[in-house]
Amino acid sequence: MRSANSISYLAGVNLGKKLSEGVAHTGDVLQALDATREVLGKNDYLWLFEPFKPHDQETVVLEDQDGTHVMLVFRDCMIRQSLFRFGHTQKGSLCNMMYGFFAGALQNIMGQDSSLEIVHAGENACYKKLTVRRAP
Amino acid sequence: MSLEITVHEQSCRGCELCIDICPTKVFELDAEKRLCVVKQADDCIACLSCAYICPSNAITHSDYHAVKNFYRDAEFCQRMGKYL
Repeated sequence: MRSANSISYLAGVNLGKKLSEGVAHTGDVLQALDATREVLGKNDYLWLFEPFKPHDQETVVLEDQDGTHVMLVFRDCMIRQSLFRFGHTQKGSLCNMMYGFFAGALQNIMGQDSSLEIVHAGENACYKKLTVRRAP
Repeated sequence: MSLEITVHEQSCRGCELCIDICPTKVFELDAEKRLCVVKQADDCIACLSCAYICPSNAITHSDYHAVKNFYRDAEFCQRMGKYL
């Protein structure tokens, strides 16, 4: 299972890097997310996502010693729908492809490492935490 | 689009499964009535997990983005492609 996770992750990284080639560099995470969304749309990838701010959180972007955090809601997702179609559970190895995609795209756009943690995998949307790590 | 969530009082058994599963803490337990109620509808991300897990089917959502389905049939996929 570990290798399946790695393969999915690396496939996502490669895809993210490939699709985001030539995208303008930015240090702003929200601008980087907009660029990532644009890249997905341009390439007809049905992976809709949006930043989310709970009512008791002051700003969309949170900073701490680990880096910059943004909560993201993923709506249309080809992986989720494929898993449902074929009777597989969520949060499996294929979901790592999305993690990899963001890692690859944000590495190109922001020049920083990132992680995408699945907080909740739902039937109609998933809730994830994006962390862009501080440059060492 | 403004999402609405309704917990049907007559169906809810107060099992609290919706409270446990909701990632954004939309529900709370009304201790007096022993029923789950919507506390913060604005925080709902429309994942619909609460509606799916509710054993008495007491939770409904309206005005939310329903995800698009994918189809196995190649010809149908082609026809659907232009809308996706």
